[in-house]
Amino acid sequence: MLVFTRKRHEAIMIGDGVEIRVLRVGRDGVRLGVTAPPQVAVHRREIYEQIREENRIAARAVGSADAIAAELRGRLSTAASDAPASDPGDDAH
Amino acid sequence: MIAPDQAACVEPRRIETPVGTFEIDPQSVIHFHEGLPGFESTRAFVLLSSPAIAPLHLLHHVSGPAASFLAIDPRLVLPGYRAVLSAADERRLGAGDRTALVWLALVTLDPEQGPTVNLRAPIVINPDRMIGFQTMPHNSLYPLRHPLALR
Repeated sequence: MLVFTRKRHEAIMIGDGVEIRVLRVGRDGVRLGVTAPPQVAVHRREIYEQIREENRIAARAVGSADAIAAELRGRLSTAASDAPASDPGDDAH
Repeated sequence: MIAPDQAACVEPRRIETPVGTFEIDPQSVIHFHEGLPGFESTRAFVLLSSPAIAPLHLLHHVSGPAASFLAIDPRLVLPGYRAVLSAADERRLGAGDRTALVWLALVTLDPEQGPTVNLRAPIVINPDRMIGFQTMPHNSLYPLRHPLALR
């Protein structure tokens, strides 16, 4: 890991497009400003990891697609003209 | 628009998915330049619909490592749902009619909680450019797991 000492208003560059600048240094945290090209997504790491974990769980739901959809439609009582409401059990093969 | 890695594939082709076989043409391929968190190497998807899974859709990989998700229009789950695009999101989406954007919330099936949808980090697709990505708003008040029920 590269380690830098930066003072307020000083920055580091990553490649030729990403700049991370120290805006403020407080007792509990450091405020950073990130400038990056539009194709580079910038996120707080803990949020990214939370979404990543949720996506991994979501990828397992596909096997239950028919059951989830049938239950959803079954709960629909007012949109009967859209799609026939059915008991989830009706779709079992 | 067809990305270089898709250029070789110009004929319609059949793909097998957990919800059936679909014929897809190259124009229907949506490019996720960074994949999705957890599936960063899967860069090309199609959005599939079938009566068996309606009103859900299937967001299914067409190249790269396998990745397949159930998705639903978040406004069917929560009327008045308003997703927010950051300035960086706007640039990533590129030009195009903003009223035509397609929003999708991914479905998770928790054994105890039942099906839920991720309203915190919805997927947005620009159909004018066939570009999509998962938004991660910094200050979203929407939950990661909202009960899946139609309203």
